[in-house]
Amino acid sequence: MDDLKKLSKAHHHDRTLLFIIAFFTGVMVIGQAYLFVAAVDRVFLQGYSFLEVLPVLLGLLAVMIARAGLTYWSGRTGVQMAAKVKRDFRQSLLDKYSRNPIQASFKGQSGQKVSVMMDAVDEIDSYFSQYVPQVMQTSVVPLMVIGTAFYHHIYTGIIMLITAPFIPIFMAIIGMKTKKKSEEQMDEMAAFSGRFLDILQGLTTLKLFGRAKQQHEAIRQSSLNFRDATMEVLKIAFISSLSLEFISMLSIGIIALEVGIRLIVFESISFFTAFFVLVLAPEFYNSLRDLGSAFHTGRGSMGAAKKVADELTETEQVVEWGDTTFSHTDKPPEIELKGVGFRYKEEGFALEGINAVLSSNQQIAIVGRSGAGKTTLLHLIAGLIGPTEGRIEVDGRSLFSYEVAGWFDQLSYISQHPYLFAGTIADNIAIGANEGADRDEIERAAEKAGIQELIKSLEAGLDTQIGEAGRGLSGGEKQRVALARAFLKNPSVVLFDEPTTGLDLHTERILQASIETLAENSTVITVAHRLHTIKNADQILFLDNGKLIAQGSHNELLASTPEYWDMVASHRGGIAE
Amino acid sequence: MNYLKFVVKEIVTEKKDIFLSVLFGFLAGITAIALFGSSGYLVSKAAFAPPLYTLAFLIAGLKLMGFARALSRYGERYFSHRATFTMLSNIRVSFFEKLEPLAPRIFQKYRSGDLLARIVGDVESLQNFFLRVFYPPIILLLVFLSTIFFVAFYSWWIAFILFAGLIVTGLVIPAWFALRQKRLESRIREARAELSTDVTEFLYGFLDLKIYQKLQGKKQRLQGASDWYITEQEREGKTAMFNHSINSMVSFTVSWLVLVVGAYFVAAQQLDGVFLAMLVMISLTMFENATPMAVLPGHWEDNRRAAARLYSVVEEEAEPSTLTEEKLPADQALSLAFQEVTFTFPGETRPTVKEVSFQLPAGSKTAIVGPSGSGKSTLMQLLLGITRSDKGDLLAGGVNLNQIEKEDLWAKSNVVLQENHFFYGTIRDNLLLANRALTDEAMKVALDRVELGHFSLDDAVYEKAENLSGGERQRLAIARAMLKGERLWLFDEPAFSVDALTEKIIYDHIFRQAKRDTLVLISHRLTGLENMDKIIVMEQGEIIETGSFDELMDKKGYFYEMKQIEKNILM
Repeated sequence: MDDLKKLSKAHHHDRTLLFIIAFFTGVMVIGQAYLFVAAVDRVFLQGYSFLEVLPVLLGLLAVMIARAGLTYWSGRTGVQMAAKVKRDFRQSLLDKYSRNPIQASFKGQSGQKVSVMMDAVDEIDSYFSQYVPQVMQTSVVPLMVIGTAFYHHIYTGIIMLITAPFIPIFMAIIGMKTKKKSEEQMDEMAAFSGRFLDILQGLTTLKLFGRAKQQHEAIRQSSLNFRDATMEVLKIAFISSLSLEFISMLSIGIIALEVGIRLIVFESISFFTAFFVLVLAPEFYNSLRDLGSAFHTGRGSMGAAKKVADELTETEQVVEWGDTTFSHTDKPPEIELKGVGFRYKEEGFALEGINAVLSSNQQIAIVGRSGAGKTTLLHLIAGLIGPTEGRIEVDGRSLFSYEVAGWFDQLSYISQHPYLFAGTIADNIAIGANEGADRDEIERAAEKAGIQELIKSLEAGLDTQIGEAGRGLSGGEKQRVALARAFLKNPSVVLFDEPTTGLDLHTERILQASIETLAENSTVITVAHRLHTIKNADQILFLDNGKLIAQGSHNELLASTPEYWDMVASHRGGIAE
Repeated sequence: MNYLKFVVKEIVTEKKDIFLSVLFGFLAGITAIALFGSSGYLVSKAAFAPPLYTLAFLIAGLKLMGFARALSRYGERYFSHRATFTMLSNIRVSFFEKLEPLAPRIFQKYRSGDLLARIVGDVESLQNFFLRVFYPPIILLLVFLSTIFFVAFYSWWIAFILFAGLIVTGLVIPAWFALRQKRLESRIREARAELSTDVTEFLYGFLDLKIYQKLQGKKQRLQGASDWYITEQEREGKTAMFNHSINSMVSFTVSWLVLVVGAYFVAAQQLDGVFLAMLVMISLTMFENATPMAVLPGHWEDNRRAAARLYSVVEEEAEPSTLTEEKLPADQALSLAFQEVTFTFPGETRPTVKEVSFQLPAGSKTAIVGPSGSGKSTLMQLLLGITRSDKGDLLAGGVNLNQIEKEDLWAKSNVVLQENHFFYGTIRDNLLLANRALTDEAMKVALDRVELGHFSLDDAVYEKAENLSGGERQRLAIARAMLKGERLWLFDEPAFSVDALTEKIIYDHIFRQAKRDTLVLISHRLTGLENMDKIIVMEQGEIIETGSFDELMDKKGYFYEMKQIEKNILM
């Protein structure tokens, strides 16, 4: 709530405009009542001819049209303000996420972030498009009406002044009561409404067990229970508007009575004044009541705003890059890890004290059980996340002193589940290139990565649309597209998160051959699962529980490190070669 | 075709609540008019200083009407919402009745998996149909016509103006807005879809974008999409505001016309001036009932779309009923056969299963293996009749699968799929799905066999069994299949998340129980296949090798090499 208030304050230009519109709306409300009453009074009591009242009537028409126009203008301003705020919010989220969402993708929170960026931002709309304009109207129009009432007939003003507070007070009391009650009902309602989805999702299982037909009754019953639970909450809401209506009606009634008595018994006011305050009174109470319903819409937005604000205040570990040009030589860079550690916030997941030299043009294998921190180490070397302790040096200088573009230009990263973007196969390969790649280069890369055959089997060849995360390609084919990206780029450092299982033989062979080809001109650092890769490595980093407990060649580690021997042996049925 | 007729059909069954909503809605509308009309009359009358008792009488009447109006409004809200939620219940049930016979085959058509969430959302959004589309026009018509009838006693002209107002606000304007709405909606949807794709790619593909330095470009694209979407939303918001304002302007203008004509007649002495205020007040109040008509087109469009999506899903031609329905023999192991079966997913160019043929004798044990995406699971879907082959025949027990009622086939098999559903309840509830008559002892034994002995039958299972781990869910599904005790076992990666040792123990139990039954196991792991009668190796939708474990190993072909690689992989 506070976040939204602050934000709407920030748009004070729009607020001022809304305020001015509200003021003129107030003028029109009063003017409409005045002219209407004047017209009736003149025709009915003063005996004016039609032509004599015509100017009043035309004035009334103008006021009415102006009132509708102001309503439109006010709403329009609200909508514009909402659009601006949504744009800003989405922009901030985008900036935030583009700085460092790697940790988020570790934790599998990407889906949740998509929903914040789409839905939560959208839900903020009604606060600005409806609630804020209504608040402006309500803080101005009733004041002007009550002022007019005081001016014309002081007693009406007094009655309004005394009765008005009952509306917000009552609304608050009922609001609190509803909140408690609806929270009580909420769990129940969620359970009932989830039931339908549960049955639909389980339909395959139900059918296979021959139990689908019996579910009608369950659906009906849970829906009806949901109805009853909802009605309990709604009833309170309806009773609250009923009481508000009673309050405003009673108040109008008191005004009418007072005016009536004065008009008839004491004959102390004119027909004009009496009629005028009677027409104004409902405008006064309606405006107060509308605030209630606007408040209701505003409340929904506040939850959404909180979600967005939470995302934005989430602390992050930003990677700051320097401006040293990364000199491009034929020799791949030498990477050195000096006491590198990483901790994701306070909780758990950590790497500590990693010291290693990854010499130029070596093949490095990172090995360890799942959860040992292998992929985190790969992310650190890539510069995707910054170490929370120690430093990474490349060619003798801190990695982060280099220009970011220069470093990434040298780098390819092939993840376990490469992401394919909506577009053609060619587009998806071309994403690897530093500059625009021509068709020949793409075709050559595709050939090296062994997807030429696949491409030939497709009608549109390289121009076949893939997308929605690469639907229609098998896991092996996706891996090969990622390889093609690397071949196109011709990097000096290759980071490779080796897939575990499920690849076809063809891809397995291509992968092995490709890594060997890439290793000719670059340093290849692999999170390795295959004994073949491990044995081929010049150096193995063996991680356990976030610590580097051994490094060396396969045979060295077998001899020196029992944990390593255990891991290899347990898998091979006791035979460690 | 207008699918809303299905919705209307469900609505009209709730006659009593509809009647009450309309009745109270009408009363609320008409008493409001009476209230303001008579207050106008009252104040005019008072100007002539009538005897006090008339005034007292009128004020009392006024109060009464006020209370009647507030109470009617309450009744209207109460009954209309109750009716709405009852209708939602009816819609859910009737939709389920239509969907149930088509499942699970129909889920194959929608691979994205959002079908179910969409169905639930669409049903929910239909709640606006009665509240905002169906009954407001009824109320509007009733209130307007009776008011016009009343006004006609005072002035035909004014009655005519009101009638014209009814036509404009109730018919012309909503129709005009509906047309504009349709165009706006489709642009908004387009913009949203584009933004949604960009956001998804940005977040899920972040790593690749970052490394390949395409983040900046993607960010700009996303910003562009967001701007476009927001601009469209803004346009819609402004249009909605515009509609609202136009509607109130027309109402104001009609009331103004009433005043003008009334004033003219009063001045011309054709109408008693004491009625003038009343008539204008009536007109002003009457048009409050026309406000909902401004938002009606938007809701109409939403609901039409929701209904169309919902009912087009189930509109599918029903499973072509097989004329010669044969029952599978009960309590007997079945043979299975594929004869040149080919299947391509709709919208894809490459067949997922290509001319696959094999014979599995009754009582045989078969494993189907292959890399991910090789078509193994699709074979299972075909075998279960969940997916229909494009070409070729499938036989179960020598009978063509097309001539067998699917329910009969499912009733006679123990199936474990990759994803198995569990319902909110207890372990017992979920196991009883296999057979209502199971004893607690039998269920305990089954739990022990799948190494879930530490669970009690009364332990809670949350929605989708989210309180159980992946491995526990799979083992529970296996226990459920074992309890069913039929003679055909169909397993699709049943122990994907179970460690190797536990897997072996469970498989031993299964093989003991299934000794004389037919069993088909789909697996991407190649361990524990030594005792299979036959191993079928799939790649790219085709069978590339068949044989027993020893035969395949001796042959040193595809299977042998896959086995070598698997040995080579450290998990």
